[in-house]
Amino acid sequence: MYSVEVQSINKIYETAFRKRRVQALNDFSIKVEKGSIFGLLGPNGAGKTTLVKILLGITFPTTGTATVLGHDISNYKLKSKVGYLPENHKFPPYLNGGDVIKYAASLSGYEPPNLEQKVDELLSLVKMLEWKNMKVKKYSKGMMQRLGLAQAMINDPELVILDEPTDGVDPIGRKEIRDVLIDLKNQGKTIFLNSHLLSEVELITDNVAILNKGNLVHQGNVQELTTSKEKFKIKFASELKEELKSENFNKYQIEQMEEDTVLFKLNDVEELNNLIDDLRKAQLFIVSIEPLKSSLEDMFISLIKNSDK
Amino acid sequence: MTTKNIYKIAYYTYREALSRKIFLTFFGISTFVLVVFGLIFLFSGIEDLISFTQVEAGERIDLIEKIVDVLKFSIAAPLYGVGLFLAIFAASSFIPNMLEKGSIDVLLSKPISRNQVIWGKFLGGLYIVLVNIAYLVIGIWFLIGLKFGNWDPSFLMVIPTVTFTFAVLYSLIILVGILTQSSILAMMLSYLIFMIFSPVLLGREEIAILIDNKFVEYLLDALYYLTPKTAELASITTDMATGDFSFDYMPFITSAAFMILSLGLSIFIFSKKDY
Repeated sequence: MYSVEVQSINKIYETAFRKRRVQALNDFSIKVEKGSIFGLLGPNGAGKTTLVKILLGITFPTTGTATVLGHDISNYKLKSKVGYLPENHKFPPYLNGGDVIKYAASLSGYEPPNLEQKVDELLSLVKMLEWKNMKVKKYSKGMMQRLGLAQAMINDPELVILDEPTDGVDPIGRKEIRDVLIDLKNQGKTIFLNSHLLSEVELITDNVAILNKGNLVHQGNVQELTTSKEKFKIKFASELKEELKSENFNKYQIEQMEEDTVLFKLNDVEELNNLIDDLRKAQLFIVSIEPLKSSLEDMFISLIKNSDK
Repeated sequence: MTTKNIYKIAYYTYREALSRKIFLTFFGISTFVLVVFGLIFLFSGIEDLISFTQVEAGERIDLIEKIVDVLKFSIAAPLYGVGLFLAIFAASSFIPNMLEKGSIDVLLSKPISRNQVIWGKFLGGLYIVLVNIAYLVIGIWFLIGLKFGNWDPSFLMVIPTVTFTFAVLYSLIILVGILTQSSILAMMLSYLIFMIFSPVLLGREEIAILIDNKFVEYLLDALYYLTPKTAELASITTDMATGDFSFDYMPFITSAAFMILSLGLSIFIFSKKDY
């Protein structure tokens, strides 16, 4: 079951009199599993915000189709079950924090009898309750982000789309936002995260799609993406420089050796198993085997560079 | 659902208008005018007003009616001019503000269709003008009724005519706002039609005689029928205020056609535009 399904979407922006054409999305397709945290990554101008806007009917695709929560994106009513925090959002400056949440609830068609209580709960969740009665025009960037997150959750959405949610938020605030998102996921909601803060995305997302110049460069599980299939760090009980120089281990490529830890570069898991057999035959005591992990940032840079070639 | 969504947008347009202070200022001025008239009526008798004129006793009723007509005219004419001037000024930024990056994203991410947004903006703006005009007109009508016993409801027709004229100009403000996102341009175009185009085109026949050119004559005619007739609507408003209903309906019909066309275009363009 998918919360978002995008099929071959193309988006071309044209200036007046078609003097300039920009292909923002090129035959782009993705699927976002229900109940997961999905990260859409890409450098500036990759087309991330365009995709989000297409999903919400703010921008229209040139060709292609997409569904959100099983409904075609042309159906505006589907948005009653979607929460959205836009990048650089603005709320009516004459409203205070509490009014903004009510404004979002009202426009979303969400009018429970205990609205005031729900508003307080959400403001409390994002640590903004004490600023409830202050006009939003006096809010700082970080406060606006927290308020934006709260308004995106007021209608009890099944899908929450967040565009750079931690932009301008301090490290403690970022951690709190991450906790809120994990909590939403635990409630079975789908989170669609648009961000360039890769270290944060890595901490909470299940799946990511990497976008560059409108093209899908990679889509997959974060764990798989950051785990190297080739490099394994093996820790031994004691230092063993001499043993590994023997003929039996010549066939294995050693990348790095540090006292009791050796980094092997292997072709596949089968070769890893052969290595383990040989190490055991040589009566070398293995303490741990760890596939070497790259950071999401390393992988991201590598993928973007490859796609630019 | 549709009506509810339109109501919500209209409600927040109304709140935005209130936050501008200009409608509150207008409300304050209206209250001041009502208080001044109230005090004048309270401290001066009808006899004081009649004593200014040397008339026979039999002409007394006619004279009171004349005084009432002058009063009604002296309220309706500036109300039309000043009221619309302030209303255009206050309403010209509704659409550009809504279309600002960040604001439009929040709005369009909600389950409200784009045509409902335009209708909501239109009706919200109209509502606040209607309330302001109605407050002053009904107040004056009530004071005149109490003082002179003249309860002729024709003066109340100022409310729909001024509101209608605003609706026509506001439809242009919405269209220009959607096309250009510029409140200054929307305001300038509205003032241009309201203060220059319409009064000048009203005298198009005289201008055509002076220029003596068929093309100019046709051009002026075309412009006249295509643009809102705020000058005629002004004289219709003052005529109606004094009970004269013998006017031509053409300015109403062509201005209404302009409004429908502007709103239709606004909805069409807004529904197709990327934000």
